Amino acid sequence: MSTVANENLPYTRQEMMAIATGRELRDGELAIFGVGLSMLAGYFAQAHHAPNIRAMTEGGVYGATPVGGLPWGIECNRISANATSFTNAIDALGFLVASGRCDVGIIGAAQVDKFGNVNTTGIWEGEIGDSYRLPKTRLTGAGGANDIACGAGRVVIMVTHEPKRFADKVSYISSPGYLEGGNARERYGFVGKGPSAIITTLGILRPDPVSKEFILEAYYAFSSIEEILASTGWDLKVSPTVHVVPEPTPEELAALRRVDATGALRKA
Amino acid sequence: MPSNKLLPLAEAVRRYTWDGMQYASGAALPVGSDAIVFGRELLRQQRRDLHGIFHCNTQQLNLLAGAGAATKAECGFSGLEVFGFANGLRRAVESGQLALEDYSNLAMAARLLGGAMNWPFVPATVNIGSDIQDRSAFAPDEYPSKRKIPSVTDPFSGREIGAFSPLKPDLAAIHVSLADPLGNAIMLGTEWSRFELSRAAKKVVLIADAIVDTDCMRQFPNLVRIPDIIVEAVVYWPFAAWPQSSPGLYDVDESHMKFMNKALATEQGTADYVRDFVDSYSDIDSYLDLIGRDTIAKLSDSATSFLLDPFRQWIKTPAEIAALSAENSAEVAA
Repeated sequence: MSTVANENLPYTRQEMMAIATGRELRDGELAIFGVGLSMLAGYFAQAHHAPNIRAMTEGGVYGATPVGGLPWGIECNRISANATSFTNAIDALGFLVASGRCDVGIIGAAQVDKFGNVNTTGIWEGEIGDSYRLPKTRLTGAGGANDIACGAGRVVIMVTHEPKRFADKVSYISSPGYLEGGNARERYGFVGKGPSAIITTLGILRPDPVSKEFILEAYYAFSSIEEILASTGWDLKVSPTVHVVPEPTPEELAALRRVDATGALRKA
Repeated sequence: MPSNKLLPLAEAVRRYTWDGMQYASGAALPVGSDAIVFGRELLRQQRRDLHGIFHCNTQQLNLLAGAGAATKAECGFSGLEVFGFANGLRRAVESGQLALEDYSNLAMAARLLGGAMNWPFVPATVNIGSDIQDRSAFAPDEYPSKRKIPSVTDPFSGREIGAFSPLKPDLAAIHVSLADPLGNAIMLGTEWSRFELSRAAKKVVLIADAIVDTDCMRQFPNLVRIPDIIVEAVVYWPFAAWPQSSPGLYDVDESHMKFMNKALATEQGTADYVRDFVDSYSDIDSYLDLIGRDTIAKLSDSATSFLLDPFRQWIKTPAEIAALSAENSAEVAA
């Protein structure tokens, strides 16, 4: 199982994913984090290299850092114990994200395709077809991720790297990436520019500047190009400059583990 | 006009709900706050065929869906955040017992704003271009859907955007931290979409964890985002959001969140849950006994407790609340 450290590493694959995601954030940015591991990656960046990041959740919780470990939700008491402002959904997702003011968002995915479209709504056998038939497995729906995918300046998608999660085409687009690729997003005039990276438990994918198809840019010390190709459900292209991602530094790991006090990223 | 609007929970449900109604709950957050106890009472009174408007799924919708009391729902998010998939809702959707119309979290808030403003539609710059626009559970054979989020032209730029339908639910049962007997309310933590919801709904009932004197509202009028003039009734019910949390008052009950969601995964588990945690108590005291007094002490010891400090001096005791309620029912009778 790819989420477990099955090799002799001083960190887990999920921790590597969270650190690689956190490295995408720059100091001073206005950033919105989704629930769960995205939040750990975001607050890791704040604790490590981006102390002046302006972090928020879609609940309209501002100025907070989590206490007691991974918050159960974007509105949980663990993130409500030291906030400086509580507002509401229209404020966070509307005034600050749909407006175009938010620099970057981190979202998760149950399934992602080669154009960075995200499915968190359901799993169907094959294509849904013309009638919206019942899903085999119902998932959580879009939540605020659709709003972040449309409005945040750039989006980082964080996802466990497994073939079933990396589809040539997702069966349901819950949150838009580059749709059919190329300049398809322009049809809708989204204020956000689309996903800048898919960070996985095995490596980092980035979009081709013209086709917008995601290609393999980097792998980790513990993974390989072959393993990533075998774990991807489409014919993944490899960048000519593909390289190894630097391993977490002791400082990065220490900062991440302070944020992840309950060890969510170290569990199987 | 009664001097206060305090009403027992069972009476509020009897008076303001009916089978087939469009029922909205607030805060409709999966962990943070929601009047879960109102949903328990809907089940106790065997309300059926509810059309739920839940900004996000909560343990309330999870329970109503799992027990078969809701046949339609509209949500932005339909899970339980870090507690995972909502098993009761999931089972109802996968079996076709409940039609779940998907939107995003901004869309739900914007649709409530549209209802509050009496707008004919709300311009949609999100949800367009995705299957949220193209797929409708309420009209599954129309693909791509033309009526859910129809495309419209921005008259100024000529650009193609979408149109959201506004929401005006029959009733909003809104969980608040503090209410006075007249229906002024303070919410601690994110208000989520309770401000818009309180104006969009045709009727509003508040479910408050604590009742305070109106002097408290006069001290903090900026914090009173729901004023009494739009409120029909105030229900006092401590731990109304349990097993979810109420910032300033109590933390999420992690083990009951998991226990409840596991129970709702099966029909038998749901029946057992309804027997043990819905039909089993007769008043506030026996409800608190059911949660467990030790659990209550533990959950009340929250890192957010200081948020309640400015308001504590105005909190009314259960005896004071009972006296006010008696006064109210005497006036209603007269």
